[in-house]
Amino acid sequence: MKKQIAKYYPIIPVFAAYLVLFLIGRNVTGTWQLVAMLLFYCALGQAFNIFLGMTGYVDFGYVAFMGVGTYGMALSITRLANIEGLGAAVIAIGFLLALLMSTLLSLAVGAVALRLRGAYFAIATIGVNEGFRFLIEGARIWNGSEGLIFTAQLNQILGRETASALMTFWADIMVLIIAALAAFVTLFYMRSKIGYALTALREDEDAAKVMGINVTKFKIIAFVTSACFAGLVGAASWALKTPYVFPPEVFEIHYTIEAIIIVLLGGAGTLLGPVAGGLIYGISKYYLSIILPGFQLLIFAPIIILIIVLFPEGVIGMLKNRVKNSALARFII
Amino acid sequence: MVFEQLSGNLIQGIVLGAIYGMATMGLSLIFGVLKVVNVGHGAFIMVGAFVTLWLFNALGISPIIAVPIAFGVGMGLGLIFYYTIMQRLLKAPELATLLATFAIGVLLEEIVKLIFGSEFRGYNWAVGKIGLGVTVLPLSKLYACIGSILVAALLYLWFKKTRAGSAVRSVVEDSEGARVCGVNVGGAYALSFALGIGLTVASGTLLTMFIPVGINPYMGGGYTLKAFVIAVLGGLASPYGAFFGGLVFGIIENGSYTLFALIPGVEPFALTRFLSFVMLLVILLIKPTGLLSGSGK
Repeated sequence: MKKQIAKYYPIIPVFAAYLVLFLIGRNVTGTWQLVAMLLFYCALGQAFNIFLGMTGYVDFGYVAFMGVGTYGMALSITRLANIEGLGAAVIAIGFLLALLMSTLLSLAVGAVALRLRGAYFAIATIGVNEGFRFLIEGARIWNGSEGLIFTAQLNQILGRETASALMTFWADIMVLIIAALAAFVTLFYMRSKIGYALTALREDEDAAKVMGINVTKFKIIAFVTSACFAGLVGAASWALKTPYVFPPEVFEIHYTIEAIIIVLLGGAGTLLGPVAGGLIYGISKYYLSIILPGFQLLIFAPIIILIIVLFPEGVIGMLKNRVKNSALARFII
Repeated sequence: MVFEQLSGNLIQGIVLGAIYGMATMGLSLIFGVLKVVNVGHGAFIMVGAFVTLWLFNALGISPIIAVPIAFGVGMGLGLIFYYTIMQRLLKAPELATLLATFAIGVLLEEIVKLIFGSEFRGYNWAVGKIGLGVTVLPLSKLYACIGSILVAALLYLWFKKTRAGSAVRSVVEDSEGARVCGVNVGGAYALSFALGIGLTVASGTLLTMFIPVGINPYMGGGYTLKAFVIAVLGGLASPYGAFFGGLVFGIIENGSYTLFALIPGVEPFALTRFLSFVMLLVILLIKPTGLLSGSGK
């Protein structure tokens, strides 16, 4: 029993980091917005890491899952607003719809693309976000390129005050919960057969196959899990915080780039990495946007290259090597 | 009426397709030789477009002269990126080169944005039009088409007739064997990478004839996607396959635009972009090594 619990020690520093963030945001006036942004980046990194970190595959269309998640929430609010007596259940239905839609899209993409190896997979994913955006715009699905605006419906469902509390505070708490959940699932996978299979295929896919591992199945598990969390992040952080959705915004490749930076900075495939990466990225982006508005990527693009060439393990990866034989090693993976 | 429109659009499609083909040859060349997927491909096309725009607006240099200049700029960029970054990553996992080329693309976009700003620009190179019965073709587009066929032919001759071309081909066949026979494999890698980038940047020049006011630091994204569709259509590792893939893609794109426009209540342009994504998935599902290439290679 003790051994079972000891397996989950590494979750402690992750949860501790989130708790500290929360306390700072609540108790230091004027920091909640920054904390909310950091939580968003940590959640994004935590979700993306499940796929990129654990499989070593890169999905350039990742933002598509956040986009459909946002649409899931938006559709639930706009379509169900006029049904009496649902109240806050509309939000819950929105999350379910976000989950469902990101699962379906990731299954459809994954079923095709995950049969392919490395480079071919990356090529297949590169158009997912654009493709989906142009489907919505081209076929005028869900109001096409005009998007959906649902501030009024949100006010109608929850009342003006609750709705505003949701947008400015509770949505961020939901992001926090999603980030923590994603971290827990990551650790759960790492400690189960799924994690071992994924590690094997990340290191050598052919060898893993020869050993009898159904590599496609495990890749799809990681892909869909990662996509589901992306959908939830989109629903909470985009649809609920800013109650509108426009296709060019929610399918913007920019967010895939940010997810890649965060995971690489922190260390791909580590549990604590996305938290470290999210904090470093979020804080530096926050200050860069004050010093150099609009040119954060000019700084971050060379940083990605530097990390890839010089420090492929990322911050936590290097820390992990440093504390290898100390008592800390049990907590940092 | 519809038939006339369709045949007119198909001619336009062939002309545009020749440019698409040339715009993809660099991608296929780099993948064929280095086994590196250049995810930042579109950004290099964008660089070519800006080089042309700047030469035309600031110095009054015609886009025809801009083609070799853009090619030179591309070769230079290719050599710089090869020796500073790509060379170190050849033995690294595939993930590293995917992310590195992606980051190079983002870096180029941001640098161009810093210099030129992010609004849409264009230039007007008026050299007249030519009537073809069912459609009217601006001469600038015709020149671009001829230019890209010429470049493709030159590349073919270079591969077949020169020592350097044979060296690159031998590396594609068997890099270890080539090394044993005294081929400078590292040099062949550098040359192919530079050549691939050079072709891509030069194709950006030709492409500007088709987008009168569509030059913008982020214009490359759409072309990256198209280039991948074309490359897998023609077999990812074959530059000539890519050229013919481009022709096929141009025809499909323009033909489908005419057909989508017949459906009421849709935006045909957006749907053609969606179609290219679907095509990519379908081709990868059926035959990832390319529909147009005969063998598995």
